[in-house]
Amino acid sequence: MYLNITEVDSALVNLSGAYPSLCELIDLPETSVEGVACHALRLRADPDGGPRDCAVFIGGVHAREWGSCEILVFFAADLLEAYSTGSGLVYGGKTFTAAQVAALLEGLDIVVFPLVNPDGRQYSQTVKAMWRKNRNPEYSTGVGDCVGVDINRNYDFLFDFATAFSPLSDVRVSADPCDPQVYQGPRPFSEPETRNVRWLLDEYPRTRWFVDVHSFSEDMLHVWGDDENQSDDPDMNFQNSAFDGTRGVDGDTAYREFVPKDDLDSASGLARHFTEALEAVRGKQYTAKPAFDLYPTAGTSDDYAFSRHIVDPDKGKIHAYTIEWGTEFQPPWAEMKLIAKDVCAGLVQFCADAPSTVTD
Amino acid sequence: MAGEEKILHVRVTAADTRALRNLLRDERLDVGGGPAPTPGPGDERSIEAFVTEEKALGLEREDVAVHVLGDATAIGRARQEEVGTGDRFADPGIVPHGLGQKVKDQSREG
Ligand SMILES: [Zn+2]
Repeated sequence: MYLNITEVDSALVNLSGAYPSLCELIDLPETSVEGVACHALRLRADPDGGPRDCAVFIGGVHAREWGSCEILVFFAADLLEAYSTGSGLVYGGKTFTAAQVAALLEGLDIVVFPLVNPDGRQYSQTVKAMWRKNRNPEYSTGVGDCVGVDINRNYDFLFDFATAFSPLSDVRVSADPCDPQVYQGPRPFSEPETRNVRWLLDEYPRTRWFVDVHSFSEDMLHVWGDDENQSDDPDMNFQNSAFDGTRGVDGDTAYREFVPKDDLDSASGLARHFTEALEAVRGKQYTAKPAFDLYPTAGTSDDYAFSRHIVDPDKGKIHAYTIEWGTEFQPPWAEMKLIAKDVCAGLVQFCADAPSTVTD
Repeated sequence: MAGEEKILHVRVTAADTRALRNLLRDERLDVGGGPAPTPGPGDERSIEAFVTEEKALGLEREDVAVHVLGDATAIGRARQEEVGTGDRFADPGIVPHGLGQKVKDQSREG
């Protein structure tokens, strides 16, 4: 059975109780729009050790993509149990040794925030299964589709899409509060659920990796999502207003988003390691690729997370990813468990390899 | 839910990228999760979407075919039966387990 929203939270609380020396329960500073308290877990072995690099994993952003929460709860539970029993982890055809598990928890901080949008999940699981947004009624009539903000359009990245993007781009975002899927909200970080994610990135300034778990399409996406990538012209970038009105068109050269080649190689390499480990479990082939394909997005978590160090050089560089697991939002639970195993193997590999990509 | 509009899960296949882009520009489609237009055969590109029955019929064009994959509303209702009720972790002593097998090996010796 899938976890309801009470269970996602109590599962986290019980993990923190069962492994007090390996994890810490994090109270997110804000409740959801409907007042639900949110928790994350920080995993680290050798808790008295000094500061270390951090990987942040979030899920349950889009209400209907149920299995994201279970994936992250299982991922945390596996690492904690394996470490505390001196074991390795086996997912189908993919094996991680006890030494790999130990190195990972002793070398990294791992923050897992499995349920960013509890109100939306509750609504999807008990009322309208296809619900995606949060449940904020404030911005319109508060009835039907005129409820809610798409949390993954509410981050501060090219938020003013009407200015930033080409009219030809069909950017996948809306300023209409009655858009059933992709209403961006009245301003960046208007929603407490989005602010909780930003708080985590601020609270853990050594975050170098960020993974937002979604469904579906069997992809491991890396930056950018607003346009195709290029590594030749640093001036052609999201901060440069000279390119307003040109962004987001597929297949043109008028605008493509700048990413230094080293960063792109690092981002795509780690994404490939994720997909290779995932495939080893039972042969599922996920595609590692940039988020932009055919049409652009604005205000998403991955572009925001990676853009932070560009907007503010005092902030650390965060390589940011979006997983799109499976081929439907709500597979039968038996199938969802197989998908969760696939993705957990990919995530363990991701954490095992991430530190080796640090060069600066 | 009584009166809830039936949503179909469909695959929309366009003759080529341009035809698919034109369609996406004309229609606000719920294309699900990741933007995953899949290629071929030939120049064809297809994308999955969630649309009302009425809208599904309206998407058909000379260069666009619509194939119904399932009734998303009915599937969603069935899946809601697979959601836990109550709290399986109400007892603080019940610890969640992941899906990986925990296997002892020699790699942490010494
Ligand atoms: Zn999503």
